[in-house]
Amino acid sequence: MRDLVAGYEPGLPILRGASIDVPAGTIVTILGPNGAGKSTLIKAIVGLVPVDSGSATLGGRDIRRVPAHRMVPAHRMVRHGLAYVPQTENVFTRLTVHENLELAGFFLKRRRRRRIDAVYALFPDLARQRRLAAGRLSGGQRQMLATARALIVEPRLLILDEPSAGLSPKLVSTVFAKLTEVRAAGVTILMVEQNVKAALAISDYAYVMVEGRERVGAPAAELAARTDLGDLFLGAMPAGGTA
Amino acid sequence: MLQFVADGLVLGATIGLGAIGLTLVYSILRFANFTHGDLISWGAYFVLSLVGLLTAAGGAAAHRFGVLSFGWPLVAAVVLAVALTGALGLLLDGALFRHLRRHGTTITLVIASFGASLALRNMIVFLYGPRPDYYSRDIQIAVPVLPGVRVTPDQVFVLGLTAVLVAALHLLLTRTTLGRAMRGVAENPTLARVVGVDVEAVVRWTWVIGGGLAAVAGAFLGLTVQVRPQMGFDLLLPLFAATILGGIGSVYGAIAGGLIIGLAESLSVPLIGSEYRQAVAFLVLLAILLVRPTGLFGDRA
Repeated sequence: MRDLVAGYEPGLPILRGASIDVPAGTIVTILGPNGAGKSTLIKAIVGLVPVDSGSATLGGRDIRRVPAHRMVPAHRMVRHGLAYVPQTENVFTRLTVHENLELAGFFLKRRRRRRIDAVYALFPDLARQRRLAAGRLSGGQRQMLATARALIVEPRLLILDEPSAGLSPKLVSTVFAKLTEVRAAGVTILMVEQNVKAALAISDYAYVMVEGRERVGAPAAELAARTDLGDLFLGAMPAGGTA
Repeated sequence: MLQFVADGLVLGATIGLGAIGLTLVYSILRFANFTHGDLISWGAYFVLSLVGLLTAAGGAAAHRFGVLSFGWPLVAAVVLAVALTGALGLLLDGALFRHLRRHGTTITLVIASFGASLALRNMIVFLYGPRPDYYSRDIQIAVPVLPGVRVTPDQVFVLGLTAVLVAALHLLLTRTTLGRAMRGVAENPTLARVVGVDVEAVVRWTWVIGGGLAAVAGAFLGLTVQVRPQMGFDLLLPLFAATILGGIGSVYGAIAGGLIIGLAESLSVPLIGSEYRQAVAFLVLLAILLVRPTGLFGDRA
């Protein structure tokens, strides 16, 4: 299977024909300056932003039908194997930790309890706080809960919008270490990040997005070694070859 | 004095039940729904028609439960009226509010609900006439329950059924998928969509449940007071007061707010005089909001 989100080509002013590939079993990160359209790209994939043209496929199946009014609605994307963690307000603060997980898995019916147990095994801290209202969790724990909630449905592709936003450096490494565990469990991850160094350290592949399209795509280690990364962010054309 | 407490509790239970529906619709659809009062009236009139039909079908001798003023015909009528009023809520949403949600702003929804409220109210006058009516013409004897306190068996029934419905709603909201989805949508509709909740389906269920509770509140008013076209609309201000008092969006706040408003109105009669009973409820509302601006059970956020 080749998990793929590709050929995305809208007439929207924010996204101007961005194309990315996310191979199965990898972590792919989208970097770029503010306003480059990173968040818009993933919101378009999950159906929160209308798509004018282009396509997105997951495992060979078209998940974004165009034109926009024929789109798969956001609430059906989860059933296509696609889970999304927004950057902010990504947990239901008035529900308990356990209720957050139960709500995420409501259509799994009998499989739900098994999935919740599996996710608790991956996030033992959450299991200890299952009766606590999610609004009382710390920032790092909320990010963990949001990620855990997305994993309930056994997604083929997990999409995260800046999982490290607002976290202390120590918590960032905790969250990212957890993401590598998630990848090891067989989940493909696509994330948007501002925290370039930490993100490249755990990623397999990365794109730099500028002005609504991907400017550079390269293996993460290669991109981390490049000295012109700052210039790329400012919009300079890449000196080396793009992938 | 205790007598006024008892009367206040019965009125408060009715207001609270109506306020729960109002607060549910408010928290999930995010607008003040003025048609809620008229859903209460429609519920009461559905019961009136159905009781007539069922009693006629069952022969001349109307069935009664022991000391209560009603029997199977009324119970069946209330159950059917709950379904019909829920369907009326769905119809309102499908014909009017669904389209406005997509294109309009909150204020459009509020004004539209005001217009729909007027239309619903006048339809009752058109169909049933402006005069008050009663489910039963029999006079019920109030029984002493405490020294100086007399209540009718119907009033006790109203209090008991309110408690049962609040408990059932609590279980619905905390134990079922629909309930958790409703709480999720109330807090964050976008996140609810992302986790796979069909928000439009939750909205439809909210109209059904809100309409159903309105029908029961209407039946309570019909049972303990009378049925008239303005009954729900006149209750709207106390309903909003109870909702705001309890904290908008809080089910338990709505029932607590309803009881407080009911008690305040009832107790003001011996203390200040019946002319000011509605004003007193609002003074209580103001006083509590000054101390707790988010209401009794409201979120501080």
